[in-house]
Amino acid sequence: MTNPTQRPLIPDLIDLTNEPETKQEAIEALLDLAVDAGRVNDREQALADLQAREEEATTGVGMGIGIPHAKSEAVISPTIAFMRAPDGIDFDAMDDEPATLLFMLLVPESSGDEHLQMLSSLSRSLMHEETRTALLEADSVDRVESIILEAVEQ
Amino acid sequence: MIERTVTVVPEDGLHARPASQVVEAANSYDSSVTVGPAGGDSVDASSMLGVTSLGVGSGDAVDLTADGPDEQAALDELETILTTPES
Repeated sequence: MTNPTQRPLIPDLIDLTNEPETKQEAIEALLDLAVDAGRVNDREQALADLQAREEEATTGVGMGIGIPHAKSEAVISPTIAFMRAPDGIDFDAMDDEPATLLFMLLVPESSGDEHLQMLSSLSRSLMHEETRTALLEADSVDRVESIILEAVEQ
Repeated sequence: MIERTVTVVPEDGLHARPASQVVEAANSYDSSVTVGPAGGDSVDASSMLGVTSLGVGSGDAVDLTADGPDEQAALDELETILTTPES
């Protein structure tokens, strides 16, 4: 993790300008960030793995959050991507709350349960309203990056 | 209030389908239901975000509690979900 290009989250993986309008659009757009950052070597395979996980159970975890994620052979190194959907999109969440904060977690097939640890740290932090509000209100990529890094390193 | 400790059997742990089954079940009872790592802090079992935050894996022990008019049935269903291998 000392090589900065191998950090799970880098500014190139945060896009505050593109605002996806559907769950499918969100998953594809988040994946594109990872592909463009050189974290995925087979977009089609990664998308299939993400969708397989989504079919098993939605990653719309409620409280306005969507966290599509996958462990995939197409992934080169652990990756977090982030976008927002200020108007909220239907993420099939059980609480019917539209998702406004959109995360994608991708880890290589060989990484054991690392993605589950990232997922639980991120979820734990997002249970706090102040974290959710800070992410919704953050006006720069740097600010978002520091909030998320703090969240997953807890 | 009643409580019970069970060992999680599904291979995915409290994640993906088993997690959504737990949340769905917790939402279908009037009782309030919590889940947490044995001896650790529990969360509201009707919150997917909360359940996801636990990071409970297969083979881990979890404490379940239920409090309300249908607490017995709620814990029975949760125990069934958590101790049934995924097909």
